[in-house]
Amino acid sequence: MAWAPPPSAAKLYRPNAYVSLPAELDPATHDTSPEKLRAEAERLAIRSRLKRQYLLQLNDPSPPAVIENPALIRWAYAKSQNVYPTFRPTPRTSFLGAVYGLGPLLFWIFVLKADRDRQGKRIQEGKLKQPPLSVFF
Amino acid sequence: SEMSQDMMPGPYPRTPEERAAAAKKYNMRVEDYQPYPDDGLGYGDYPMLPNKSQYERDPWYQWDQPDMRHNWGEPMHWDFDMYIRNRVDTSPTVVPWHTMSKHFLLFVSIMLIMFGVGEIYPSYRPVGPKQYPFNDLYLERGGDPNKEPPAVIHYEI
Repeated sequence: MAWAPPPSAAKLYRPNAYVSLPAELDPATHDTSPEKLRAEAERLAIRSRLKRQYLLQLNDPSPPAVIENPALIRWAYAKSQNVYPTFRPTPRTSFLGAVYGLGPLLFWIFVLKADRDRQGKRIQEGKLKQPPLSVFF
Repeated sequence: SEMSQDMMPGPYPRTPEERAAAAKKYNMRVEDYQPYPDDGLGYGDYPMLPNKSQYERDPWYQWDQPDMRHNWGEPMHWDFDMYIRNRVDTSPTVVPWHTMSKHFLLFVSIMLIMFGVGEIYPSYRPVGPKQYPFNDLYLERGGDPNKEPPAVIHYEI
C-alpha cells in the first residue's frame, strides 16, 4: 500500500507569533517589483546619510567627548517619560490596571489567610506540636 | 542633551502632516512609519517595527555597533533590550513551531499523567515489617541484663 509523500517544508511551516519565517518561505524575499526596489533605494539613502553623519563625528580630528545617538535618546525618553503623557484611561487599561495592581495583592491575602486559619485549626485540635525553643521572650 | 522638544517622541499623530513629521523625526520613510494603535497604553507616536531579534540581522554587514547589530540613528524597537543577542531570539527554527510545541506538550503531559497514575496506584514488591535479632534488640534498647528478656521468635517451622 503506497503512502502519500510527506508534506513539503513550505506547507508545514506556518507563520507564527514567536519566530520569523525562513527567508526561502517568506514571500517578501521573492518580491522584485519596482516599488520594492524604490523603497529599498530610499531606505539605503536614509541609512547612508545617517552613516555619513556618524562617521564625520567619529573621524573628527577634535571629536566630541560622547557621540550621542538620537535614536537611543528618543527610545529611552519614549519608554520612560512619554508613557504618562500619552496614557489614557480606557476600559481596557482600567481593567488591566486593576488586574495587575490588585490581583496579586488579593491572591496572596487569601492564600496566607487560608494557610494561617488551617494552622490555627490544627493547633486547636492539638495536631501541631510547637517546638519548645522560642526566639520571642 | 541639546535636543529640542520636537525631536523627542510625542503623542499619537492624528493628521497626515503629523505622521510625515514623525516619520522624518524617527529617520524613517513615511510609508514605513506605522505607530502603535492608539489604545491609551502609553506608546505615543513611537513606530511599530517588526518583532525581529538582532540575531536575524546580517552578521557580515559593517554595523556601527557590531555587538548590537545596530546603526547610529536607526529607530530602535520598543523592546530593543529584549531582542539583543544575549536574550530573545526570533530566528527561524529548523522544525516548525507548532510541530515542536505539539511534541513537547504531548511528551510532558504523558509523563505527568504516568507519574500521577503511579502515585495513585503504586506498585512495589510485597514487604513486611523489619525483624530485629537478639529478641528485638532487647539489650541494645536499654533492657535490664539481669532479667530474662521476653522471647521473640520470627520464624515458624
